[in-house]
Amino acid sequence: MSQVFLARADVRGALVGLVLGLALALGLPALPGVGAGLSLRTLTVCAIYALAAAGVGVLYGRLGLVSIMQIGLVAVGGWVTLRIYHATHLPFEVVMVLAALVTAVVGVLVGLPALRLSGLSLAIVTLMVAGALEVLVTYAGFPNGGDGFLGRASGGTLAAIMPRPALGQSDDDFFRYVGVAVVVVLALLRWLLMVRPGRTWAAIRQGEAGAVSLGVNTVAHRLFALAVTSAVTGVAGALLAASSGILDPASFKAQQSVLLFATVLIGGVFSLLGAVIGGLLFYGLPQLLSTVGVDGNLVFVVLGLGLVQAITTTQAGIAGQLGGLWRRLRQPRPRRPREVTA
Amino acid sequence: MNLLPFVVAGLVIGSVYALSGVGVLVLYRTTGVLNFAHGAVGGMAALLVWQMVELRMQPPVAIALGVAAGAAIALLFGLVAGPFLARVDQLRKAIATLGLALALLGLMLFVWNDKARTIRLESSRISFDVAGARVNVTQLVCLGLALLVVVGTLLALRYTSTGTSMRALASDRELAAVVGTNVRLVENTAWAISGAVAGVSGILLADQTRLEPAFLTFLIIPELAAVVIGRFVSLWLTLVGGLAVGVGQSLVSAWPTVSAFSTAVPFVVATIVILVAARRRVVTVRVVRT
Repeated sequence: MSQVFLARADVRGALVGLVLGLALALGLPALPGVGAGLSLRTLTVCAIYALAAAGVGVLYGRLGLVSIMQIGLVAVGGWVTLRIYHATHLPFEVVMVLAALVTAVVGVLVGLPALRLSGLSLAIVTLMVAGALEVLVTYAGFPNGGDGFLGRASGGTLAAIMPRPALGQSDDDFFRYVGVAVVVVLALLRWLLMVRPGRTWAAIRQGEAGAVSLGVNTVAHRLFALAVTSAVTGVAGALLAASSGILDPASFKAQQSVLLFATVLIGGVFSLLGAVIGGLLFYGLPQLLSTVGVDGNLVFVVLGLGLVQAITTTQAGIAGQLGGLWRRLRQPRPRRPREVTA
Repeated sequence: MNLLPFVVAGLVIGSVYALSGVGVLVLYRTTGVLNFAHGAVGGMAALLVWQMVELRMQPPVAIALGVAAGAAIALLFGLVAGPFLARVDQLRKAIATLGLALALLGLMLFVWNDKARTIRLESSRISFDVAGARVNVTQLVCLGLALLVVVGTLLALRYTSTGTSMRALASDRELAAVVGTNVRLVENTAWAISGAVAGVSGILLADQTRLEPAFLTFLIIPELAAVVIGRFVSLWLTLVGGLAVGVGQSLVSAWPTVSAFSTAVPFVVATIVILVAARRRVVTVRVVRT
């Protein structure tokens, strides 16, 4: 049985991805040129945003749901992490799981009314939530050890920051910590896509009427998907909070959510590799451009036009094209039978 | 507390939301594209007007050129992306315009950065008192224009040949093409008209609120709320919705304790409307046409 299981193409692909991901997560800081401060920190944040991107990708690629509020949910995850930490001083791993749960609840509550209508209403409602969350986050700020529900220290008191987890104190260790966490969460997501919930989601995406006729409760399954992806996004928020110990409302604007959606579609929504590419495009590309000296705002133009192009012509995104290339390299076209010459 | 000034301001902003929403609605009904870039097109027009006035151009000429620019941007997108978008479902059409919004926002931030600017229309300098609230001519123009556009659109859809073609496309695109409607021409007309409407409302909103790329781009949120209240079909309900959202936001911002939450008003209103409107989710089996 395990032989059959291992022979499945998707299982092998997932295992190769798992091994490659772990190797990258553990080995990358040791590479010369990467280990030096700034670029490693950029890659750490890229890896964190790959989680948020995976949430968007699974929702759109597997269920056809458009959620434009994911950066807002990252902010929610980060806020809850900092709030719980400053209130209880629990170990970071416990705080991270709690933040994931709270973010899942928020995501479900927001999606619940819209899911009863068409997919377009979810897109509209999530865009509105993205706008509202931006303002709420700017208004409330992020907890920094102060009093009251908002936990904001002001005036004479010094702002407290959340220390990094015990296993990831230095930049190198923290990258490994984030890398392993990201790979583990992505592996769980991949597993979920291969077993029953994933297949049910695929059935809903194929045709809602067919899924209903098979006895699938489509609203419940969509809510479950929203809960799972929101939890994943909450983990991203927790890791982001841990990376610097304090968060800035300016990095959670509504346009960032739209940008993340664009990068995921360009990266590819049908595989988790696309999510990783999306994370790199989302955070790495602007950093790279500003190092070269190009105005970072041009990223919006490039990725915006890329989104239009991805929607109209290349549904599978960059990851899909890479996959196609790999398959063509693996299986060279059958040679034409040599013509018999006289 | 005298709430009248807040009600007046809310009505004015709300009427521009409604005006803009009419542009979104006409385009959506004609082409099936829900244009998330509507606010960005308006922002672009407003910034162009600001730039041209800075370059010592006569304000009326600048405004006319700004509105024309809005129409041109929308028309260009319709011309280039329209044929591709015709083949994908409604959700993907809407997402593609999200890309346009992002591109326009990036362009605005690149050219003009995100400094707060102001644009003062000549008509805003003339003002008078109405029952204790200060009203200027621009605000009257906003209210009048919204009413005019709603009535005008209704009449145009009813009595002109282009309007009839638009209604034909709204009910069945393929069938309209079969009976000889020039689908591409009608769609491009809808793009240009909605772009011009976006330009007008963008300039008015920039005068009434503030001239800032990201802010104007995301004014699509209350505008969409107006369209949602109109249930994606009714022009009158869109007008009512725009006014309701505008007054709601303005009243919430009147109390200091809750004023920070005024941008959440469109979300709350739209969610309530969606909850009330959706009695039962209908699953339809689509007939595949090739």
